[in-house]
Amino acid sequence: MGKLTIGSFSSLVGSMSLDFAVKLSEAAVQKGHKVDLWTSGNATMLSKKGQKAFKDYSHLAKKVQELVATGNFQITACEACAEARGYKKDDTMEGFQRHSMDWYLASAFSADRVLHIGGD
Amino acid sequence: MKLGVFLSDYRTGADVLDRLTADKLGIILVGNGVYHATIKENGKACSVLDKKAAYYVLSEDLECRGCSAANVDSRVKVVTYGDVVDLIFNDYEKIIWI
Amino acid sequence: MAIKKLGFVVRTLPYKIEGSRLAMTHAISSQTVEIYLEDGDNVEPVVCFIGDGVLNCLKGHQAMKHYGITSLEQHIKNSLLLDLNVLICKEDVERFGIKEDALIMDAADIGGETNAKIVPYSEIQKAMESADHLLFC
Repeated sequence: MGKLTIGSFSSLVGSMSLDFAVKLSEAAVQKGHKVDLWTSGNATMLSKKGQKAFKDYSHLAKKVQELVATGNFQITACEACAEARGYKKDDTMEGFQRHSMDWYLASAFSADRVLHIGGD
Repeated sequence: MKLGVFLSDYRTGADVLDRLTADKLGIILVGNGVYHATIKENGKACSVLDKKAAYYVLSEDLECRGCSAANVDSRVKVVTYGDVVDLIFNDYEKIIWI
Repeated sequence: MAIKKLGFVVRTLPYKIEGSRLAMTHAISSQTVEIYLEDGDNVEPVVCFIGDGVLNCLKGHQAMKHYGITSLEQHIKNSLLLDLNVLICKEDVERFGIKEDALIMDAADIGGETNAKIVPYSEIQKAMESADHLLFC
């Protein structure tokens, strides 16, 4: 089995590209692969705890926490991008790491595949 | 190189796609990119499909948009997220998103 | 000891969305990635500007003056100061009618010795082929 690193900068709710990243992560973990999901830019909003589930909006928090619990999925927010948006360490949901950008590059170093989704 | 391209938009990205060359090229239509597989304008199928590549379209994004696998261009294979994972690990050594 | 090459391919315009900014800052973060890796391992970024992305490379950004943010120009100069390989697509520069002296080609004013290179797309294709992973931004 392999390792997939995904970098997503897309907004939570405002763009479904982040949903794609989470669903692809889930599919990969179900197949026995390991996944690192790096969230930077607007995607750091996914790290914020207290997200409310509405039928009209994507709700990814629960799926993210289920994936973290598998032990084969790591999700990390860019600390600078989060702080710039007012998301403090105390605001971060359990299981969601925070690191500087070099963490993503280190994850890419050991990955078999890297998918950089960028922002929109 | 074996390159997998996730095409996520309908109106943008074709210029970048046009220039990409690879020994093995796969184009995976996701997000709004799925419309390339089903929509015709003025009776013509999308010119993105004319490139020499293997084409795939994500069924979940297709159905999300009310499109049916029955309407998918014959050049495009309908795949699930699980199939996409297999394509990523087994068929393409580099993958990009446009 | 392994060096992994990461190809950052910038195709989006600056400022409205953060794709090109984050491409630059991530590429620059390669300077400190060693702390996560085994001794002797490292990543080597190459930054390629293609399509509309070449417009990031126009000189004279005034983002700090008008929006109080570091300009893409500064990020590109910082990457040259750090000796990153920066490639700009020749065909796209010519298509926009841009002359070399209108582009950010060096960081000499901040002590940099490495220059950006205007290269045919075929060279960028080669850079993509030799990269271990591609990050289109």
